[in-house]
Amino acid sequence: MIQASTLSGAAGAEMGSSEYSGCTKVLWVVWIVLLVAGLVGLWKLLTVGHLAGGYGSYVSWGLWIALYFMGVGIAGGAFVFAAAGYILGWRGFATRADLRTAIVLSLAAILPAFLVIWLDLGRMERLFTVFTSATFTSMIAFNAWMYNTFLVVAVVCWLLSFKSESVWLKPLLCLGAFLSILFPSQSGVFFEAVGTKDYWNSPLLSMLFLSSALAAGSGALLFVRTLVGPTDGKSSDASVNDQAIQTLRKFTVAALITYLAFEFAEISIEVWRPYTETRSVDFLIRGEYAWVFWGIQLFVGTLIPLFLYLFSPNRGAWAVASVLLVLGFVAARMGILVPGQVVGQIPGLQEAFQDARLVYSYHPTSMEYLIGALMIAVGMAVFFIGRRLTAALASESEQKA
Amino acid sequence: MNEEKTPLDRREFILAGGLVGAGIAVAAAVVVKDRSPSPPVDPTGEATTRQLDVLKQVKQTEHEDEHLRMQRELVRAMAKPVEQRRWIMVIDLRKCIGCHSCTIGCVAENKLPPGIVYRPVVTKEVGVYPNVRVQFLPRPCMHCENPSCVPVCPVRATWKRPDGIVAIDYDKCIGCRSCLNACPYGSRTIDFGRYYAEGAAVGAPSGDVRPLDGPRAPYEHVSSNEYAKNWKREGKGSPIGNARKCHLCAHRLEVGQLPMCVSTCIGRATYFGDSKDPKSLVVELTTKHNVQVLLEHWGNKPQCYYIV
Repeated sequence: MIQASTLSGAAGAEMGSSEYSGCTKVLWVVWIVLLVAGLVGLWKLLTVGHLAGGYGSYVSWGLWIALYFMGVGIAGGAFVFAAAGYILGWRGFATRADLRTAIVLSLAAILPAFLVIWLDLGRMERLFTVFTSATFTSMIAFNAWMYNTFLVVAVVCWLLSFKSESVWLKPLLCLGAFLSILFPSQSGVFFEAVGTKDYWNSPLLSMLFLSSALAAGSGALLFVRTLVGPTDGKSSDASVNDQAIQTLRKFTVAALITYLAFEFAEISIEVWRPYTETRSVDFLIRGEYAWVFWGIQLFVGTLIPLFLYLFSPNRGAWAVASVLLVLGFVAARMGILVPGQVVGQIPGLQEAFQDARLVYSYHPTSMEYLIGALMIAVGMAVFFIGRRLTAALASESEQKA
Repeated sequence: MNEEKTPLDRREFILAGGLVGAGIAVAAAVVVKDRSPSPPVDPTGEATTRQLDVLKQVKQTEHEDEHLRMQRELVRAMAKPVEQRRWIMVIDLRKCIGCHSCTIGCVAENKLPPGIVYRPVVTKEVGVYPNVRVQFLPRPCMHCENPSCVPVCPVRATWKRPDGIVAIDYDKCIGCRSCLNACPYGSRTIDFGRYYAEGAAVGAPSGDVRPLDGPRAPYEHVSSNEYAKNWKREGKGSPIGNARKCHLCAHRLEVGQLPMCVSTCIGRATYFGDSKDPKSLVVELTTKHNVQVLLEHWGNKPQCYYIV
């Protein structure tokens, strides 16, 4: 049994650092704002339904799908880094406390992703038929099972990390790491498998999703490690934590540059292949949302983070860079999702039967953004509760030992 | 240094390999199993035959109206077990005048709400004045032989019936919309739960007879009979939130009636019948004429043929 007092005072072993305490008030304010905004969005969804969304029948997936894939990407990227670091004994990643921090982050990313994909369903009450009546010819079903298997593996790893001796911890970490590499790339296949969209029909998407997951996962881990400080809460660990952050910084930069290289290759094929269909790429780089690609993804989400990671000596700046990086990858996912859908195969179909939901365009609505805020608030709450539980269980297991 | 030494020992290595290997094996097995051909989920055999009385009193003549001929062929096809029928549609684009009767007939028959369309007619202007003409392209669901919308459904809510109709189970569909993206023809639309009179002025505040009552107007809630079931759009119940599409008026076929778009086509441009019946009008038309299918390169093998 975890004592309530243990939980409430859990800022001890795994929580405490002065920087963390300094940020606490700001984070509470941010969380409350996001939660209130998110609940307004949820209320709107539950009362008005999907009519409050900007998606329709021709562009049927929007912002929530991008956020969903961002969440699972962060979860996979953070976990693979944690598992590899723990198993291989990388400095700053080799303790169980380090491992738990990353697993909690992973859970805090994937659980709100599940929430948002659930809210995206037209018939939310039938969610569980994906488990009771699944067909694995569908990437949705395959991914749902894979993500949930990962979720179980991650939770079991987290629980086993409190046992002093467990022969299953590292093997399960290996399985979790395998899944963590597999599912971000399979997220790319999710789109590739929709063979009827020219823009999505590229094997490079798997690599784009995988490299972005690794970059976002390690960036998010860097953010968390900067925020919570030494995972054991001891000042002697500060240098180890610094080294972990340095490692994450370098890895994030490498993964981000890899992503850019793949994306350049992806767009190059469309741009330089003569007589090819380029409407999706045209939409991406010259369309009404070109500012998302040039402004948010490339400038705010790539160039600024790269500059901060490479030229700023300040850890706080790296944490800011990580937030911008994740924002950039959300924009990047929108840059895959929307251009792929705004191009119809039958010219004139949109005009054949005119309706606001039968158009080849997409504009996210306030309700979609508010649900996005809810997703972040839920992620923060899961992380906070996870950290508290971790601290409580760690303290209890130490007492037993 | 408080770091733990954490190399994988031999036992852990074997366990890790076993777990990953087992995971791969299970994943491969379930995918291969679901990819393998499986028996139809629908009933087949003699129990699916229908002995219909339609047109029994109308004497067959040599040069019969095409609609009468198709209806007789429909009755003949329904007398066979379902797996021995194969419905196809043939549209003569030379005869289509772009009147949209098929679209409206379909909306009326299936009580389609705003934003749902099963059979739009695409209009295309070709050429420059004075050499100009207008082309029309009715676009129903193609009921493809290899429907790309079927395998992407995560819950088996859509499938190809033995008679060729690609059906949707509204009670099973979760509204994930992946089938919408998978269809190259844009044949599927999602029911967002809208009503025609939504936001419209309400008539008398009370009383038995009210001219208009917003989304609660009675005509908004008339049941549709899709898939020979009763679908009443009330509250948030199905088919609201579901993917919807043309089903070749499967409910009308059951009682010996042609699909509504065929019946309402004033130019006799739309034909329907059983491609397994060598004497049927649709087989005659697809053999005699130069027919094409839409977006053939996707490999879906659409079962709607256009005479061009």
